[in-house]
Amino acid sequence: MPDAVTLTFRESNGDLTHVTAKIGQSVMEAAIMANVTGIEAECGGSLSCATCHVYAPDALVGPGDMEDAMLDDTASERRECSRLSCQLVVAAEMDGLTFDLPDAQ
Amino acid sequence: MTDPIVIVGASHAGVQLAQSLRTEGCDVPIRLFSDEPFLPYHRPPLSKAYQIDPEARVMALRPESFFETSSVDLRRATRVTAIDRAARTVTAGGETFDYGTLVLATGAVPRRLEIESDRVLYLRDRADADGIRAHLRTAQRMIVIGGGFIGLEVAAIAAKLGLSVTVIEAQPRLLARVAPPELSAHVAHQHKAAGVGIRTGAGVADVTESGGEVQVTLTDGTTLAADVVLVGIGSLPNTGLAEAAGIDAGPQGIVVDAHLRTSDPNVYAIGDCVSFPCVQSGQMERLESVQNAADQARSLAATLIGAPAPYTALPWFWTDQYDMKIQMAGLPGAGSTTILRGTPDSGAFSVLSFEGDRLRAAYSVNAAADHMAARKLIAGNVRFDPEAGRDTEIALKTHLNTNTPMPAATRAAE
Repeated sequence: MPDAVTLTFRESNGDLTHVTAKIGQSVMEAAIMANVTGIEAECGGSLSCATCHVYAPDALVGPGDMEDAMLDDTASERRECSRLSCQLVVAAEMDGLTFDLPDAQ
Repeated sequence: MTDPIVIVGASHAGVQLAQSLRTEGCDVPIRLFSDEPFLPYHRPPLSKAYQIDPEARVMALRPESFFETSSVDLRRATRVTAIDRAARTVTAGGETFDYGTLVLATGAVPRRLEIESDRVLYLRDRADADGIRAHLRTAQRMIVIGGGFIGLEVAAIAAKLGLSVTVIEAQPRLLARVAPPELSAHVAHQHKAAGVGIRTGAGVADVTESGGEVQVTLTDGTTLAADVVLVGIGSLPNTGLAEAAGIDAGPQGIVVDAHLRTSDPNVYAIGDCVSFPCVQSGQMERLESVQNAADQARSLAATLIGAPAPYTALPWFWTDQYDMKIQMAGLPGAGSTTILRGTPDSGAFSVLSFEGDRLRAAYSVNAAADHMAARKLIAGNVRFDPEAGRDTEIALKTHLNTNTPMPAATRAAE
Protein backbone atom coordinates (compact mmCIF):
# COMPACT_ATOMS: atom_id res chain seq x y z
CA MET A 1 0.00 0.00 0.00
CA PRO A 2 1.44 3.39 -0.88
CA ASP A 3 1.24 6.01 1.86
CA ALA A 4 0.75 8.88 -0.56
CA VAL A 5 -0.98 9.62 -3.84
CA THR A 6 -0.72 12.34 -6.45
CA LEU A 7 -3.60 14.77 -6.77
CA THR A 8 -3.92 17.59 -9.26
CA PHE A 9 -5.56 20.94 -8.58
CA ARG A 10 -6.68 23.08 -11.49
CA GLU A 11 -7.04 26.75 -10.57
CA SER A 12 -9.80 28.74 -12.22
CA ASN A 13 -7.19 30.33 -14.55
CA GLY A 14 -6.16 26.87 -15.74
CA ASP A 15 -2.94 26.59 -13.72
CA LEU A 16 -2.23 23.04 -12.65
CA THR A 17 -0.53 22.03 -9.42
CA HIS A 18 0.44 18.42 -8.81
CA VAL A 19 0.46 17.58 -5.14
CA THR A 20 1.74 14.63 -3.17
CA ALA A 21 -1.02 13.92 -0.67
CA LYS A 22 -0.62 11.63 2.31
CA ILE A 23 -3.29 9.01 2.77
CA GLY A 24 -5.48 9.96 5.70
CA GLN A 25 -4.99 13.71 5.51
CA SER A 26 -7.71 15.89 4.03
CA VAL A 27 -7.63 17.00 0.43
CA MET A 28 -7.81 20.56 1.79
CA GLU A 29 -4.70 20.09 3.90
CA ALA A 30 -2.80 18.53 1.02
CA ALA A 31 -3.68 21.52 -1.17
CA ILE A 32 -2.83 24.14 1.45
CA MET A 33 0.51 22.56 2.30
CA ALA A 34 1.41 22.52 -1.39
CA ASN A 35 0.60 26.25 -1.56
CA VAL A 36 -2.43 25.85 -3.78
CA THR A 37 -3.86 29.34 -3.46
CA GLY A 38 -7.40 28.73 -4.72
CA ILE A 39 -8.43 27.26 -1.36
CA GLU A 40 -8.82 29.44 1.74
CA ALA A 41 -9.85 26.95 4.46
CA GLU A 42 -10.53 29.75 6.89
CA CYS A 43 -11.82 27.50 9.68
CA GLY A 44 -8.95 25.05 9.50
CA GLY A 45 -11.05 22.10 8.46
CA SER A 46 -13.87 22.13 11.00
CA LEU A 47 -16.74 22.35 8.52
CA SER A 48 -17.63 25.88 9.51
CA CYS A 49 -16.67 28.28 6.75
CA ALA A 50 -17.25 26.74 3.31
CA THR A 51 -14.05 28.30 1.91
CA CYS A 52 -12.37 25.09 0.77
CA HIS A 53 -14.90 24.47 -2.01
CA VAL A 54 -13.73 22.22 -4.87
CA TYR A 55 -15.34 20.64 -7.88
CA ALA A 56 -14.56 17.02 -7.27
CA PRO A 57 -14.25 14.18 -9.75
CA ASP A 58 -17.44 12.17 -10.26
CA ALA A 59 -15.73 9.13 -8.76
CA LEU A 60 -16.21 10.50 -5.24
CA VAL A 61 -19.37 9.93 -3.24
CA GLY A 62 -21.53 12.88 -2.27
CA PRO A 63 -21.40 15.12 0.77
CA GLY A 64 -22.81 14.36 4.22
CA ASP A 65 -25.80 16.35 5.54
CA MET A 66 -23.84 19.07 7.31
CA GLU A 67 -21.47 19.50 4.38
CA ASP A 68 -24.43 19.55 2.00
CA ALA A 69 -25.95 22.43 3.98
CA MET A 70 -22.69 24.36 4.10
CA LEU A 71 -22.32 23.99 0.33
CA ASP A 72 -25.49 26.05 -0.01
CA ASP A 73 -23.51 29.21 0.62
CA THR A 74 -20.29 28.86 -1.29
CA ALA A 75 -18.93 32.03 -2.88
CA SER A 76 -18.88 30.40 -6.31
CA GLU A 77 -21.62 28.49 -8.06
CA ARG A 78 -22.51 25.16 -6.51
CA ARG A 79 -22.46 22.25 -8.90
CA GLU A 80 -23.46 18.62 -8.67
CA CYS A 81 -19.83 17.73 -7.96
CA SER A 82 -19.22 20.47 -5.34
CA ARG A 83 -17.51 19.33 -2.17
CA LEU A 84 -15.73 20.88 0.77
CA SER A 85 -12.20 19.58 0.51
CA CYS A 86 -11.73 19.48 4.29
CA GLN A 87 -14.25 16.65 4.35
CA LEU A 88 -12.50 14.59 1.67
CA VAL A 89 -9.99 12.18 3.15
CA VAL A 90 -7.15 11.23 0.84
CA ALA A 91 -7.35 7.53 -0.05
CA ALA A 92 -5.37 5.20 -2.29
CA GLU A 93 -8.16 5.16 -4.89
CA MET A 94 -7.78 8.90 -5.36
CA ASP A 95 -4.40 8.61 -7.06
CA GLY A 96 -4.33 10.68 -10.22
CA LEU A 97 -7.60 12.55 -9.63
CA THR A 98 -7.98 16.19 -10.62
CA PHE A 99 -9.91 18.73 -8.53
CA ASP A 100 -11.10 21.94 -10.11
CA LEU A 101 -11.06 25.07 -8.01
CA PRO A 102 -13.77 27.73 -8.14
CA ASP A 103 -12.83 31.32 -8.95
CA ALA A 104 -13.77 32.55 -5.48
CA GLN A 105 -14.00 31.15 -1.98
CA MET B 1 10.54 52.02 -4.83
CA THR B 2 7.35 52.18 -2.80
CA ASP B 3 7.76 52.09 0.95
CA PRO B 4 6.98 48.69 2.42
CA ILE B 5 3.79 47.60 4.07
CA VAL B 6 4.69 46.45 7.57
CA ILE B 7 2.26 44.11 9.34
CA VAL B 8 2.66 43.58 13.07
CA GLY B 9 1.21 40.20 14.02
CA ALA B 10 1.14 37.07 11.89
CA SER B 11 -1.99 35.23 12.85
CA HIS B 12 -5.28 34.96 10.93
CA ALA B 13 -5.54 38.69 10.23
CA GLY B 14 -1.93 39.46 9.37
CA VAL B 15 -1.39 36.43 7.16
CA GLN B 16 -4.70 36.91 5.34
CA LEU B 17 -3.77 40.51 4.65
CA ALA B 18 -0.43 39.53 3.15
CA GLN B 19 -2.11 36.87 1.07
CA SER B 20 -4.95 39.10 -0.12
CA LEU B 21 -2.56 41.90 -1.04
CA ARG B 22 -0.58 39.52 -3.24
CA THR B 23 -3.71 37.97 -4.75
CA GLU B 24 -4.95 41.47 -5.60
CA GLY B 25 -1.71 42.17 -7.42
CA CYS B 26 -0.01 44.40 -4.86
CA ASP B 27 3.75 44.30 -5.46
CA VAL B 28 4.85 46.54 -2.61
CA PRO B 29 7.38 44.87 -0.26
CA ILE B 30 5.58 43.26 2.69
CA ARG B 31 7.18 42.61 6.07
CA LEU B 32 5.22 40.45 8.45
CA PHE B 33 6.37 40.29 12.07
CA SER B 34 5.51 37.43 14.42
CA ASP B 35 6.32 37.11 18.13
CA GLU B 36 6.23 33.36 17.81
CA PRO B 37 8.93 31.07 16.40
CA PHE B 38 6.45 28.96 14.41
CA LEU B 39 4.94 29.28 10.98
CA PRO B 40 1.60 31.10 11.48
CA TYR B 41 -1.08 28.57 12.36
CA HIS B 42 -4.80 27.96 12.78
CA ARG B 43 -5.90 28.89 16.30
CA PRO B 44 -9.49 27.61 16.60
CA PRO B 45 -8.51 23.91 16.59
CA LEU B 46 -6.25 24.52 19.61
CA SER B 47 -9.28 24.33 21.91
CA LYS B 48 -10.98 21.60 19.89
CA ALA B 49 -9.55 18.83 17.67
CA TYR B 50 -5.97 19.50 18.75
CA GLN B 51 -6.82 18.62 22.35
CA ILE B 52 -8.80 15.48 21.61
CA ASP B 53 -6.40 13.71 19.29
CA PRO B 54 -2.87 13.31 20.67
CA GLU B 55 -1.68 12.70 17.10
CA ALA B 56 -3.15 15.96 15.83
CA ARG B 57 -0.64 18.49 14.63
CA VAL B 58 -0.91 22.24 14.55
CA MET B 59 -1.98 23.25 11.07
CA ALA B 60 -0.08 26.05 9.37
CA LEU B 61 -2.20 28.77 7.79
CA ARG B 62 0.08 28.69 4.78
CA PRO B 63 3.22 26.66 4.06
CA GLU B 64 6.72 28.10 4.16
CA SER B 65 6.70 28.14 0.36
CA PHE B 66 3.84 30.66 0.36
CA PHE B 67 5.96 33.28 2.09
CA GLU B 68 8.88 32.62 -0.26
CA THR B 69 6.99 32.56 -3.54
CA SER B 70 4.82 35.53 -2.54
CA SER B 71 7.83 37.58 -1.41
CA VAL B 72 6.34 38.11 2.01
CA ASP B 73 9.22 38.72 4.41
CA LEU B 74 8.01 36.77 7.44
CA ARG B 75 10.13 37.56 10.48
CA ARG B 76 9.46 34.98 13.14
CA ALA B 77 10.25 35.37 16.84
CA THR B 78 10.67 39.07 16.17
CA ARG B 79 8.63 41.33 18.39
CA VAL B 80 7.96 44.86 17.26
CA THR B 81 8.77 47.02 20.27
CA ALA B 82 8.22 50.58 19.08
CA ILE B 83 6.67 52.71 16.36
CA ASP B 84 8.14 56.06 15.32
CA ARG B 85 5.25 57.67 13.46
CA ALA B 86 7.18 60.78 12.45
CA ALA B 87 10.01 58.78 10.88
CA ARG B 88 7.59 56.04 9.73
CA THR B 89 9.67 53.25 11.17
CA VAL B 90 9.21 50.36 13.55
CA THR B 91 11.81 48.83 15.82
CA ALA B 92 11.95 45.04 15.93
CA GLY B 93 14.66 42.74 17.20
CA GLY B 94 16.99 45.72 17.61
CA GLU B 95 16.65 46.75 13.97
CA THR B 96 14.72 49.62 12.41
CA PHE B 97 12.38 49.08 9.47
CA ASP B 98 10.76 51.72 7.26
CA TYR B 99 7.11 51.60 6.40
CA GLY B 100 4.83 53.43 4.05
CA THR B 101 1.80 51.78 5.58
CA LEU B 102 1.74 50.14 8.98
CA VAL B 103 -0.89 47.57 9.94
CA LEU B 104 -1.41 46.51 13.53
CA ALA B 105 -2.76 42.96 13.81
CA THR B 106 -1.57 42.45 17.34
CA GLY B 107 -4.48 40.36 18.62
CA ALA B 108 -5.46 39.95 22.23
CA VAL B 109 -4.28 38.16 25.35
CA PRO B 110 -6.32 36.28 27.94
CA ARG B 111 -7.41 38.17 31.02
CA ARG B 112 -5.42 36.68 33.85
CA LEU B 113 -5.96 35.98 37.51
CA GLU B 114 -3.43 37.31 40.00
CA ILE B 115 -2.09 33.89 40.94
CA GLU B 116 0.98 32.67 39.05
CA SER B 117 0.97 28.88 38.95
CA ASP B 118 1.79 26.24 36.38
CA ARG B 119 -1.51 24.61 37.34
CA VAL B 120 -3.50 27.68 36.35
CA LEU B 121 -3.82 27.66 32.56
CA TYR B 122 -4.93 30.01 29.81
CA LEU B 123 -5.47 29.33 26.15
CA ARG B 124 -4.39 31.64 23.40
CA ASP B 125 -1.42 30.28 21.53
CA ARG B 126 0.28 27.07 20.61
CA ALA B 127 2.43 26.94 23.74
CA ASP B 128 -0.70 27.30 25.89
CA ALA B 129 -2.41 24.55 23.92
CA ASP B 130 0.53 22.19 24.37
CA GLY B 131 0.48 22.83 28.12
CA ILE B 132 -3.22 22.06 28.32
CA ARG B 133 -2.78 18.96 26.20
CA ALA B 134 -0.19 17.63 28.64
CA HIS B 135 -2.30 18.41 31.71
CA LEU B 136 -5.39 16.79 30.19
CA ARG B 137 -3.49 13.51 30.06
CA THR B 138 -2.29 13.57 33.67
CA ALA B 139 -4.86 15.52 35.67
CA GLN B 140 -7.98 13.94 37.13
CA ARG B 141 -9.90 17.02 38.23
CA MET B 142 -10.25 20.27 36.34
CA ILE B 143 -11.97 23.49 37.28
CA VAL B 144 -12.86 25.81 34.44
CA ILE B 145 -13.30 29.42 35.45
CA GLY B 146 -15.52 31.13 32.88
CA GLY B 147 -18.43 29.62 30.94
CA GLY B 148 -17.61 31.19 27.58
CA PHE B 149 -16.49 29.54 24.35
CA ILE B 150 -12.92 28.70 25.36
CA GLY B 151 -13.84 27.42 28.79
CA LEU B 152 -16.70 25.28 27.53
CA GLU B 153 -14.72 23.83 24.64
CA VAL B 154 -11.96 22.75 26.99
CA ALA B 155 -14.49 21.49 29.54
CA ALA B 156 -16.12 19.34 26.88
CA ILE B 157 -12.80 17.81 25.89
CA ALA B 158 -11.70 17.27 29.47
CA ALA B 159 -14.98 15.49 30.21
CA LYS B 160 -14.57 13.37 27.10
CA LEU B 161 -11.08 12.39 28.27
CA GLY B 162 -12.49 11.27 31.59
CA LEU B 163 -11.58 14.16 33.87
CA SER B 164 -13.92 15.31 36.59
CA VAL B 165 -14.82 18.85 35.49
CA THR B 166 -16.55 21.79 37.14
CA VAL B 167 -17.33 25.01 35.29
CA ILE B 168 -17.68 28.18 37.33
CA GLU B 169 -19.49 31.10 35.75
CA ALA B 170 -20.18 34.43 37.44
CA GLN B 171 -23.20 35.23 35.27
CA PRO B 172 -26.54 33.52 35.90
CA ARG B 173 -26.08 31.37 32.78
CA LEU B 174 -23.39 30.04 30.44
CA LEU B 175 -22.45 32.04 27.32
CA ALA B 176 -24.35 34.95 28.85
CA ARG B 177 -22.65 37.64 26.78
CA VAL B 178 -22.84 35.87 23.45
CA ALA B 179 -25.92 33.66 23.25
CA PRO B 180 -29.64 33.74 24.03
CA PRO B 181 -30.96 31.88 27.10
CA GLU B 182 -32.38 29.02 25.01
CA LEU B 183 -28.93 28.18 23.71
CA SER B 184 -27.32 28.61 27.13
CA ALA B 185 -29.82 26.16 28.61
CA HIS B 186 -29.17 23.58 25.90
CA VAL B 187 -25.41 23.86 26.25
CA ALA B 188 -25.64 23.56 30.04
CA HIS B 189 -27.81 20.48 29.62
CA GLN B 190 -25.27 18.82 27.31
CA HIS B 191 -22.42 19.52 29.71
CA LYS B 192 -24.37 18.17 32.67
CA ALA B 193 -25.26 15.05 30.67
CA ALA B 194 -21.53 14.53 30.16
CA GLY B 195 -20.99 14.74 33.90
CA VAL B 196 -19.65 18.30 34.03
CA GLY B 197 -20.61 20.26 37.13
CA ILE B 198 -22.00 23.69 36.25
CA ARG B 199 -22.05 26.46 38.84
CA THR B 200 -23.55 29.62 37.46
CA GLY B 201 -23.95 32.85 39.39
CA ALA B 202 -20.79 31.88 41.22
CA GLY B 203 -18.10 34.50 41.67
CA VAL B 204 -14.51 33.52 42.40
CA ALA B 205 -13.19 35.06 45.60
CA ASP B 206 -9.75 33.48 45.70
CA VAL B 207 -7.52 31.02 43.90
CA THR B 208 -4.61 29.44 45.75
CA GLU B 209 -2.22 26.56 45.20
CA SER B 210 -0.91 24.16 47.80
CA GLY B 211 -0.17 20.48 48.17
CA GLY B 212 -0.11 19.85 44.42
CA GLU B 213 -3.61 21.15 43.82
CA VAL B 214 -5.40 24.41 43.22
CA GLN B 215 -8.13 25.65 45.54
CA VAL B 216 -10.84 27.89 44.16
CA THR B 217 -12.91 29.69 46.76
CA LEU B 218 -16.26 31.03 45.60
CA THR B 219 -17.90 34.19 46.86
CA ASP B 220 -20.44 32.07 48.77
CA GLY B 221 -17.58 30.57 50.77
CA THR B 222 -17.45 27.17 49.06
CA THR B 223 -13.98 25.91 48.24
CA LEU B 224 -13.39 23.53 45.34
CA ALA B 225 -10.11 21.81 44.56
CA ALA B 226 -8.64 20.47 41.34
CA ASP B 227 -5.36 19.34 39.85
CA VAL B 228 -5.56 22.04 37.24
CA VAL B 229 -7.59 25.19 36.52
CA LEU B 230 -8.36 26.57 33.08
CA VAL B 231 -9.21 30.25 33.06
CA GLY B 232 -11.36 31.58 30.21
CA ILE B 233 -12.64 34.93 31.42
CA GLY B 234 -12.25 36.99 28.31
CA SER B 235 -9.38 38.79 26.69
CA LEU B 236 -7.68 42.14 26.51
CA PRO B 237 -6.66 43.69 23.19
CA ASN B 238 -2.95 44.22 22.62
CA THR B 239 -2.95 47.99 22.41
CA GLY B 240 0.36 48.77 24.14
CA LEU B 241 2.35 49.37 20.97
CA ALA B 242 -0.33 51.69 19.55
CA GLU B 243 -0.83 53.57 22.81
CA ALA B 244 2.91 54.11 23.29
CA ALA B 245 2.98 55.66 19.82
CA GLY B 246 0.08 57.97 20.63
CA ILE B 247 -2.43 56.16 18.42
CA ASP B 248 -6.02 56.35 19.68
CA ALA B 249 -6.62 53.17 21.69
CA GLY B 250 -7.87 52.02 25.05
CA PRO B 251 -9.24 49.04 26.95
CA GLN B 252 -11.81 48.57 24.19
CA GLY B 253 -9.14 48.19 21.52
CA ILE B 254 -7.31 50.20 18.88
CA VAL B 255 -9.88 52.60 17.50
CA VAL B 256 -10.39 52.48 13.73
CA ASP B 257 -12.84 54.01 11.27
CA ALA B 258 -14.99 52.20 8.70
CA HIS B 259 -11.89 51.73 6.53
CA LEU B 260 -9.98 50.24 9.46
CA ARG B 261 -7.74 53.28 9.66
CA THR B 262 -6.43 54.39 13.05
CA SER B 263 -6.04 57.98 14.23
CA ASP B 264 -2.80 58.05 12.16
CA PRO B 265 -3.66 58.00 8.44
CA ASN B 266 -0.64 55.79 7.69
CA VAL B 267 -1.57 53.21 10.29
CA TYR B 268 -4.38 50.66 10.08
CA ALA B 269 -5.48 47.95 12.49
CA ILE B 270 -7.37 44.67 11.96
CA GLY B 271 -8.57 41.63 13.87
CA ASP B 272 -9.03 40.93 17.57
CA CYS B 273 -7.24 44.12 18.63
CA VAL B 274 -9.56 46.67 17.02
CA SER B 275 -12.64 48.56 18.04
CA PHE B 276 -14.48 49.29 14.80
CA PRO B 277 -17.80 50.85 13.79
CA CYS B 278 -19.99 47.81 13.27
CA VAL B 279 -22.66 48.13 10.57
CA GLN B 280 -24.78 45.35 12.06
CA SER B 281 -24.97 46.64 15.63
CA GLY B 282 -24.65 50.33 14.85
CA GLN B 283 -22.00 50.77 17.52
CA MET B 284 -18.30 50.27 18.09
CA GLU B 285 -17.47 46.60 18.55
CA ARG B 286 -14.42 44.52 19.23
CA LEU B 287 -14.94 41.00 17.91
CA GLU B 288 -12.67 38.05 18.40
CA SER B 289 -13.10 35.60 15.61
CA VAL B 290 -11.43 34.14 12.58
CA GLN B 291 -14.19 35.59 10.41
CA ASN B 292 -13.60 39.09 11.71
CA ALA B 293 -9.83 38.78 11.30
CA ALA B 294 -9.96 37.37 7.78
CA ASP B 295 -12.72 39.62 6.48
CA GLN B 296 -11.13 42.76 7.88
CA ALA B 297 -7.87 41.69 6.25
CA ARG B 298 -9.60 41.28 2.88
CA SER B 299 -11.36 44.59 3.24
CA LEU B 300 -8.13 46.36 4.12
CA ALA B 301 -6.29 44.74 1.21
CA ALA B 302 -8.85 46.32 -1.12
CA THR B 303 -8.34 49.71 0.52
CA LEU B 304 -4.56 49.46 0.29
CA ILE B 305 -4.57 48.64 -3.42
CA GLY B 306 -6.72 51.68 -4.09
CA ALA B 307 -10.25 50.25 -4.11
CA PRO B 308 -11.42 51.36 -0.67
CA ALA B 309 -14.73 50.11 0.64
CA PRO B 310 -15.99 50.33 4.21
CA TYR B 311 -15.88 47.17 6.27
CA THR B 312 -19.37 45.68 6.42
CA ALA B 313 -18.92 41.91 6.60
CA LEU B 314 -21.45 39.97 8.63
CA PRO B 315 -19.99 38.61 11.87
CA TRP B 316 -20.21 34.86 12.35
CA PHE B 317 -18.76 32.49 14.88
CA TRP B 318 -18.68 28.80 15.64
CA THR B 319 -17.94 26.49 18.52
CA ASP B 320 -17.77 22.70 18.67
CA GLN B 321 -18.64 20.94 21.93
CA TYR B 322 -19.45 17.23 22.19
CA ASP B 323 -21.72 16.45 19.24
CA MET B 324 -22.88 20.04 18.99
CA LYS B 325 -21.75 22.20 16.12
CA ILE B 326 -22.92 25.62 17.17
CA GLN B 327 -22.89 28.30 14.48
CA MET B 328 -23.83 31.90 15.10
CA ALA B 329 -24.43 34.69 12.63
CA GLY B 330 -25.07 38.38 13.16
CA LEU B 331 -25.37 40.37 16.37
CA PRO B 332 -28.67 40.79 18.21
CA GLY B 333 -30.14 44.27 18.23
CA ALA B 334 -31.69 46.02 21.18
CA GLY B 335 -35.27 44.98 21.88
CA SER B 336 -34.94 41.76 19.96
CA THR B 337 -37.54 39.05 20.04
CA THR B 338 -36.42 35.46 19.82
CA ILE B 339 -38.07 32.61 17.98
CA LEU B 340 -37.24 28.97 18.53
CA ARG B 341 -36.95 26.99 15.31
CA GLY B 342 -37.00 23.24 15.92
CA THR B 343 -36.71 21.55 19.29
CA PRO B 344 -33.59 21.44 21.46
CA ASP B 345 -34.53 17.89 22.53
CA SER B 346 -33.98 16.74 18.95
CA GLY B 347 -30.40 17.99 19.14
CA ALA B 348 -30.85 20.25 16.10
CA PHE B 349 -32.47 23.66 16.33
CA SER B 350 -31.94 27.37 15.86
CA VAL B 351 -32.73 30.42 17.93
CA LEU B 352 -33.60 33.33 15.66
CA SER B 353 -33.31 36.85 16.99
CA PHE B 354 -35.50 39.42 15.22
CA GLU B 355 -35.84 43.13 15.45
CA GLY B 356 -39.30 43.74 14.05
CA ASP B 357 -39.48 41.62 10.91
CA ARG B 358 -35.77 41.60 10.27
CA LEU B 359 -33.53 38.75 11.32
CA ARG B 360 -30.59 40.16 13.27
CA ALA B 361 -28.90 37.07 14.62
CA ALA B 362 -29.23 33.31 14.42
CA TYR B 363 -27.81 30.65 16.72
CA SER B 364 -27.87 27.19 15.22
CA VAL B 365 -27.07 23.85 16.81
CA ASN B 366 -26.42 21.10 14.28
CA ALA B 367 -28.49 23.10 11.81
CA ALA B 368 -25.99 24.28 9.22
CA ALA B 369 -28.67 24.96 6.62
CA ASP B 370 -30.33 27.44 8.98
CA HIS B 371 -27.00 29.07 9.67
CA MET B 372 -26.07 29.49 6.04
CA ALA B 373 -29.52 30.85 5.16
CA ALA B 374 -29.42 33.17 8.16
CA ARG B 375 -26.14 34.66 7.00
CA LYS B 376 -27.81 35.68 3.74
CA LEU B 377 -31.06 36.82 5.35
CA ILE B 378 -29.24 39.03 7.85
CA ALA B 379 -26.72 40.42 5.38
CA GLY B 380 -29.48 41.11 2.86
CA ASN B 381 -31.66 42.78 5.47
CA VAL B 382 -34.52 40.61 4.26
CA ARG B 383 -37.89 41.20 5.93
CA PHE B 384 -40.11 38.27 6.76
CA ASP B 385 -42.62 37.22 9.36
CA PRO B 386 -40.76 35.94 12.43
CA GLU B 387 -43.54 33.41 13.03
CA ALA B 388 -42.77 31.86 9.63
CA GLY B 389 -39.25 31.25 10.92
CA ARG B 390 -40.69 28.75 13.40
CA ASP B 391 -41.89 26.41 10.68
CA THR B 392 -39.16 23.83 10.13
CA GLU B 393 -41.12 22.47 7.16
CA ILE B 394 -40.13 25.63 5.32
CA ALA B 395 -36.38 25.89 4.71
CA LEU B 396 -35.11 29.18 6.07
CA LYS B 397 -33.53 29.98 2.71
CA THR B 398 -37.04 30.03 1.17
CA HIS B 399 -37.56 33.43 2.81
CA LEU B 400 -34.74 34.82 0.70
CA ASN B 401 -36.92 34.50 -2.37
CA THR B 402 -40.34 35.32 -1.01
CA ASN B 403 -39.42 38.61 0.58
CA THR B 404 -38.02 41.83 -0.73
CA PRO B 405 -35.17 43.58 1.00
CA MET B 406 -35.96 47.08 2.15
CA PRO B 407 -34.44 49.68 -0.14
CA ALA B 408 -31.07 50.79 1.17
CA ALA B 409 -32.23 54.41 1.24
CA THR B 410 -35.04 53.53 3.63
CA ARG B 411 -32.64 51.71 5.91
CA ALA B 412 -30.28 54.65 6.02
CA ALA B 413 -33.16 56.93 6.97
CA GLU B 414 -34.19 54.80 9.93
